[in-house]
Amino acid sequence: MAVYHADAIVIRSREYAEADRILTIFSREHGKLQVIAKGVRKPKSRQRGGTQLFTYADFLLYQGRNLDTVSQVSPKESFAHLWDDLERTMAATGMAELLDLAVLTGQPQPELFSLTLTFLFLLANYDPLLILSAYALRLLTILGFSPVLEECAECGGRVKGESLYFSPPAGGIVCDLCLENFPGRRLKAGSIAFMNRLLKNELAKLDRLRWPVWMQQEVRETIQSYCEQKLERPLRAWSIGKTLGI
Amino acid sequence: MDFIFYPQPLANLISSFARLPGIGPKTAGRLAFYLLQHPQLAEDLAKAISAAKNDIRKCTVCCNFTDKDPCPVCQSARRDRTLLCVVEHPRDVVSLEKTGEFKGLYHVLHGVLSPLEGIGPDQLTIEKLLLRLEGVQEVIMALNPTVEGEATCLYLSKLLKPLGLEVSRLAHGLPVGGDLEFADEITIARALEGRRII
Repeated sequence: MAVYHADAIVIRSREYAEADRILTIFSREHGKLQVIAKGVRKPKSRQRGGTQLFTYADFLLYQGRNLDTVSQVSPKESFAHLWDDLERTMAATGMAELLDLAVLTGQPQPELFSLTLTFLFLLANYDPLLILSAYALRLLTILGFSPVLEECAECGGRVKGESLYFSPPAGGIVCDLCLENFPGRRLKAGSIAFMNRLLKNELAKLDRLRWPVWMQQEVRETIQSYCEQKLERPLRAWSIGKTLGI
Repeated sequence: MDFIFYPQPLANLISSFARLPGIGPKTAGRLAFYLLQHPQLAEDLAKAISAAKNDIRKCTVCCNFTDKDPCPVCQSARRDRTLLCVVEHPRDVVSLEKTGEFKGLYHVLHGVLSPLEGIGPDQLTIEKLLLRLEGVQEVIMALNPTVEGEATCLYLSKLLKPLGLEVSRLAHGLPVGGDLEFADEITIARALEGRRII
């Protein structure tokens, strides 16, 4: 496999040496890879277009001792809608951060690849925060961390009330009898129901969902703390996105 | 590491070189030995590094690196004070100055928004930019045409436009000597958008 193809999305890109970039790409066939794209910061580089952040492209890579090198790249989709809108850019950044933290290098995750690609396309027309929240919940579900939102995560009993107690360490909502042992916060029952819809609704129907500002804030904070608990890392891009008002 | 085989001062020199970007342990060793063989060069280099470290600081107005504060550009009476060009790095100021086309003032952000790398507005010099807008009529964004550069432009224009300033950015399009066949769709779309009558 000295030279191989990768159908991949660029999820991280940082400058390296004079005019190179080190890219983290998430490919359908090989999972997450770190590759080096040489000379792509020069204006005349032929690979420049395909190696931009969030671009979906067909990469031809050749194996190196440490990093594989981009030999050719033909962009399939540049997601132009991400370039003109700060909220969409920040939502895509949040998605990329989650994906980068959630997957290990070199492990193919075709289901996660399809999810990511679909949601990057959905960002063109749908509410960016809605897409980011739905993506986070569905990504965790694929990884086996689906939050329990319909019954007590600890005892399996029914949970009712206007406000429900959500505990990231418990993995979902917890009933009044069990909550003592788990740190968490109270959310309005409507927020929990909305998270359930984000998780289970058909993609085509996601854009029909409407949520008030207080619910956006509550759901966003809850999902962030749940992701941080499960991935065991702080989500820096999510926190910065919040300071930018997104 | 091989450092235990070297005398301490030499090992320190090699490990210091190896901390520079783009320099690995082998290159670091080569540079260190070269300097030992050329003592005059070593002395000049040491003086240059020490002078740069002691004399160069950030201009309190534009945040560019300078040995005089405010820097000569900020002090110059010949520059157009209604035009302010926002750039990412001090080296971008040099690139723009080399063209000889721009006569306004600069503001160096020292980076762009890059949430994935943990760089938010607080890590840039945005606060200082907002404090120096008196008399400015147009702010030109001369940031790199990358997703992060664009996001920074959008964020800054969100802050600057309500203040009644004109916010523009450098044109996007095909580079001189470039090849249309290899240009991506965003570049071609932007080039079409910004086409000029000839």
